[in-house]
Amino acid sequence: MKRRDPIHPLVPQLRQDLAGGKISRREFLRYAALLGVSVTAASQMAGMICPKKALAARIRRGGTIKVATGIQKVTHPAQFSWVEPTNIMRQVAEYLTFTDKDNITHPYLAEKWQASDDLKTWTLTLRQGIKFNNGDGLTADDVIFSMNQWLNKDVGSSLLGMMGGYLDPTGIEKINRYQVKLHLKKPEIAVPEHLFHYPALILNHRTFEGDFVKAPHGTGPYTLDVYRESERAVLKRHSDYWQTGADGKPLPYMDSFEFVDMGDEMAPRIAALQSGEIDMIDLATTGGTAVYKALKDDRRVQVKPIGTAQARVLRMRVDLKPWDDNRVRMALKLCQHREKILALAYFGQGLQGHDFHVCPKHPEYCEMPVPAYNPQKAKQLLKEAGYKDGLRVNLAVGSEWTDVVRYAEILKQDAAPAGFNVVLQTMPTSQYWEKWTEVDLGITPWTHRPLGTMVLNLAYINDAEGNPVPWNETNWADPEFSRLLEQANGTLDVDKRRQIFCKLEKIQWEKGSIGIAWWQNNWQIITKRVQNSDPHPTGYMLFNEVWLSS
Amino acid sequence: MAKFILRRFFLLLITMFLVSVAVFMITEASPGNVAKNVLGAFITPEQERSFLAQMGLDQPSYVRYFYWLFGSDWLAARKVGLPLTRTVTDDGFVEWWAVRPDGALVRWKLEGDNLIAVSKLPSVGITSEYNNDNRWKAGAGTTQTVWGVDTANHVVRWQKGSDVKVWSFVIGTGWMESTGGPMEYIPLKKGFIRGDPGISLRTGRPVSKTIFTRLRNSIVLAGIAFVLVMPLALLLGLIAGLREGSLQDRVLSIGGMMFSVIPEFATGIFLILIMAVWLQWVPGATVFGEQAPWERPDMLILPVLTLTLIELGYILRITRASMVEVMKSPYIRTAFLKGLPYWRIVFKHAVRNALMAPITVIMLHVNWLMGGIVIVEVVFGYPGLGKYLLDSAMFKDINALEAGAMILVLLAVGTQLVADIIYTFLNPRIRYT
Repeated sequence: MKRRDPIHPLVPQLRQDLAGGKISRREFLRYAALLGVSVTAASQMAGMICPKKALAARIRRGGTIKVATGIQKVTHPAQFSWVEPTNIMRQVAEYLTFTDKDNITHPYLAEKWQASDDLKTWTLTLRQGIKFNNGDGLTADDVIFSMNQWLNKDVGSSLLGMMGGYLDPTGIEKINRYQVKLHLKKPEIAVPEHLFHYPALILNHRTFEGDFVKAPHGTGPYTLDVYRESERAVLKRHSDYWQTGADGKPLPYMDSFEFVDMGDEMAPRIAALQSGEIDMIDLATTGGTAVYKALKDDRRVQVKPIGTAQARVLRMRVDLKPWDDNRVRMALKLCQHREKILALAYFGQGLQGHDFHVCPKHPEYCEMPVPAYNPQKAKQLLKEAGYKDGLRVNLAVGSEWTDVVRYAEILKQDAAPAGFNVVLQTMPTSQYWEKWTEVDLGITPWTHRPLGTMVLNLAYINDAEGNPVPWNETNWADPEFSRLLEQANGTLDVDKRRQIFCKLEKIQWEKGSIGIAWWQNNWQIITKRVQNSDPHPTGYMLFNEVWLSS
Repeated sequence: MAKFILRRFFLLLITMFLVSVAVFMITEASPGNVAKNVLGAFITPEQERSFLAQMGLDQPSYVRYFYWLFGSDWLAARKVGLPLTRTVTDDGFVEWWAVRPDGALVRWKLEGDNLIAVSKLPSVGITSEYNNDNRWKAGAGTTQTVWGVDTANHVVRWQKGSDVKVWSFVIGTGWMESTGGPMEYIPLKKGFIRGDPGISLRTGRPVSKTIFTRLRNSIVLAGIAFVLVMPLALLLGLIAGLREGSLQDRVLSIGGMMFSVIPEFATGIFLILIMAVWLQWVPGATVFGEQAPWERPDMLILPVLTLTLIELGYILRITRASMVEVMKSPYIRTAFLKGLPYWRIVFKHAVRNALMAPITVIMLHVNWLMGGIVIVEVVFGYPGLGKYLLDSAMFKDINALEAGAMILVLLAVGTQLVADIIYTFLNPRIRYT
């Protein structure tokens, strides 16, 4: 143990687990990657050959891809609060890590990372020879500068909420020109995942002055040529990009990237996609249901589904009547006919949920039976809670989310036999977001996150002072749950972690404040000529290696 | 006549003023939160406060209206103590600078507790930075304050020496402790009556840059439709009206009615389904590039066709009714009895009177075509003025909304004036004094 082993001590353990069938190959890859082993090395350990994309002969260079999206106002990348602008800017600037569609996190601008045994010290090593598109070389100073931006209160990045809990600006140490060490305040396993959170773009410390559009200097495959809010954005090929394509020449394959703002309505975007005027619709925030429905049988487009941990969460404020009574909450949860809801609200495109915020796609998911629809038991619970004549409740629903509306309608119908009179309060989506934490009963969309611990830490605990954390929309917290979660946050062994998650899931199912009827699929919907493009659960456009057939 | 036009002009000014006040008040009273619309639903109260302050939205509404109308730069210049000027960089970004007595442009930024001036000599294009701590003036208690132009087009009151300690990161230096920061913001603008409608809250771009592109797009769309529809509708209306009850009258009236009662979103969708999705003759949506809207005229076909179908029936039926009425009137009968040739009766005597009603409707429709084609614009994703106003209203983007409203008022009053003048030619008995 004197000599510093290049491999994290837990990796051999993980390898045994893999051999013994305790974890799947995918989990092994994931965790090996988390611990700083490159994916190629890890997949060799896992006894499989890394699928090399050997398509060089077929690849065609050149061309322009057109994407319909919202061209929003952009100033500071760390302030991004919507995914659309990041899908433009992630082609210009890049992240330290990269979480792929299978939730495996890879090294990216950071060539590798190493975590200490106690998960409190992380060393990031940058890839050398990467250049910003203005010619400056990427160094540790840029990383430290960017991180300081994320953690600066005046900038107001959502990364502050995510990373501020375990990292202070003073905990960032520069080791040399290409190495940065992070000294965390408490153990954290999701550091590489957080480094791929969408506002975490690495900025050029020499030129960035708060407005990225004025000095669009990133390391990405494209450069920003035109950015006109609410109209269009044009990206041009960055000729000095650091990644090499399968044909041996630098990426990217395409010449340019064009984003067009066609307004919020889906119909014109669909028509434009059908006639080939655009190649893709950005579905990151609008959701793809309307587009999926319109185009699923269209032979001119490719519809690529992907399972996600994205859900419509039926949330009940536990500090407001009648939801302060767990029996009432349980009664409403039992009124969800999950199979029916998934089939009618989302065309069967997803997985049934369990009323705890852990998705079967998460590595630490502990298998549990899907709760059955049980109005009799719900009725009895309501009676016990003192509502023997039934209960009238208002359900806040954002009307532009059609699947949420349908979910609410089905729930209203299926909850009636139990004695619930659910009154739907529809409102424009923007209005729902104004009071999403305030309504007593509502349905809130939650986005995908690659690790099971991530959402639980965001939404179901109290802060150090005992107040609900900002996104704890139901004000629910449970001492046992918080303790177990804290334990899970510092546990790397998947098996042990899953055991903790069995308990966490059980607590949230029995006493929790939410119902999750289904986990949604996402789709990437593109024209036939777009090649080598994969859907991503978060709707990110990772188009470095995309090419267009003629 | 001159007096009449002058009177109309004053009426226009008063209407514009009243409309601008009304739009301001309605936007003010409507629910919604600009900060959340722009930054997303998950912002913290501190972020919201800072956003509202930087946008100048923390001021009372009458102050904001005043700034919107007359501008804020002259007031801000007095606070800074130097005249201010607005420049446009080569990349097209609008920048505000203070002008030093020697002619150099200057702005300021705060690094820790130090005030740094950034100056630029416009003639030579040299920029330099220097410490400008001598501008600090004593404020309340132990604090010191200074007013200056920042790098994001505000006039800012910076303060230091307060009890609040903040850490801020300075490029090249690292973390510095400072005892204050920006306390008050005045966003700089010239004001509407000086030709600057301000910055769009939604997009962060000057409204004037976007709105004229949008207006041009709408004018192109509406103009083509107008030029196609009006002569056609008038002609067909006259033909139908001349021979009331004939087969062609029935076909034209019923056909016209059919298309004008189907709402434009339905017509539009049907046209897309038939012409773009099924037959694949023309694109079903508008995707414009640099040379919009000229680079792809084929994209205009369906929107124009939709507008044409809607408008055609309406104007046609009004012209027809008017023509029928005129043809029944005693003076036409007299003309027939006098033995005048048929074409002469129609063109010399009937048409001029029959056109009175359609002209009024047409002129009212010019206005409708500009703002009211929003539905057609939304259906086809056409970047026009109506859609811009709709989006702005959804966002409570007051500057954009006001500018759009002013354009529409101008159009409404202007077209009405044109209609009034046309009347005098059609019917010489009409006089305005």
